[in-house]
Amino acid sequence: MTTATPTTTESPAVPHRRITTTLTLGVPAVLAAVTVAVALAWRDRLPDPVASRWGPDGVEGGSSLVGLLIPLVAMTLVFAGALWAVGYFWGRAAMTRRFATGTAVWIAVFVNGLTILMLSAQLDVATASEARDLGAGLAALIVAALAVAVAVAWLVPGDPRQPTGTPIPVGARRLPLPESETATWVRSVQWVSPVWIVVGSIGFGAAIGAAARSWWLALVLAAFLGTLLVTATAWTVTVDRLGLTARSRLPRPRIVVPLEEVEVADVVQVDPLREFGGWGLRTGLGGRVGVVVRKGAALEVVRTGGRRVVVTVDDAETGAALLNTLAARTRA
Amino acid sequence: MLFRIDPTGDEPLYSQLAAQVRAAAARGELADGERLPAARDLAASLEINLHTVLRAYQDLRAEGLVELRRGRGAVVTAGAVRDVSPLHDAIQAVVDTARRLGVSPDTTLALVKEALR
Repeated sequence: MTTATPTTTESPAVPHRRITTTLTLGVPAVLAAVTVAVALAWRDRLPDPVASRWGPDGVEGGSSLVGLLIPLVAMTLVFAGALWAVGYFWGRAAMTRRFATGTAVWIAVFVNGLTILMLSAQLDVATASEARDLGAGLAALIVAALAVAVAVAWLVPGDPRQPTGTPIPVGARRLPLPESETATWVRSVQWVSPVWIVVGSIGFGAAIGAAARSWWLALVLAAFLGTLLVTATAWTVTVDRLGLTARSRLPRPRIVVPLEEVEVADVVQVDPLREFGGWGLRTGLGGRVGVVVRKGAALEVVRTGGRRVVVTVDDAETGAALLNTLAARTRA
Repeated sequence: MLFRIDPTGDEPLYSQLAAQVRAAAARGELADGERLPAARDLAASLEINLHTVLRAYQDLRAEGLVELRRGRGAVVTAGAVRDVSPLHDAIQAVVDTARRLGVSPDTTLALVKEALR
């Protein structure tokens, strides 16, 4: 991860580490403990072996209760641990911490909820094959996991205001803009047309519905995919008196870098898959956050607090130059 | 695209804005069907009156450069953006020739204006 721009400060400490640890490690650990406690309390009312896999025609496989619990608890804790490390070591930007905590909680609620759901579907039955269907319960669980994850991510404290008085470096890109002029630079980045999102989501929902024969599940998953794509695929990038703003088709999430927190802006080359593990609104290696919807030139802002923000956008040269020029005006 | 305005200038703000969209289109920076920023957003961003932006967009619509669509804002009209790069080449040739012959910018402009009449 090299850039042409100099880093003007050494990396400061990651803020809010204690609450990141509590929410990202603590919440999943408590959920896993509750699941194990509930499962053990239900032990006498469950068949042995318990049903552990469901197909469209009902129960497809079983395992011992312990054999069911161990991988699920392990999965919860492994993901929580990995995401905690991301938030703890790379969490200089609030978005990275929210992403890490939200994902860890989402996985924990889903996996543990699924365990409880599976076990509750076979309480007081003689054999595993008589277990009831999961059906709408699974759809409700997906929605609940998402809602809890968003709520917990929202609890994660944001970044404190970190203005800087350091001048923009002399060699940085500038736009010749007379003192009397104001300027706004706007570009849209569209990756997939909305028509394809609607078609894709409906197709995906239909495939799930046909395979699982649960239309609740199909509806929830299609809505989830559609929302994800709507937010991930089209962005409006603005550089103006408020700094850099990147908004999707929905009001949130968005990225805002105020002028007072801009150390320097420049153009860099970005490889979404290699540096960010995918496309859309991402946290990348080292905790760099960004909107990456294609490979190639991107506007990168070195932000106070050891943060970096990247947006893949055409004509990033003009955007970076205007951002530097406007930021320089705020420095005395 | 880049919008810049000079509130201290003599030219009205709506006319400054419209001129920049025209110039961007002539430079080939706007594509058919490209959406200009929502008038409300652009006005807030530049700290100018919403009606100033709307007036600029209406002028551009009158010229056929954009279409105003309810809920979608101003969209560059299909076919409105012509490729005028041969004109840029010709202008560059005029500039080069004037410099080579030592003809002043004012005299060159006067000659071009005369020829356009």
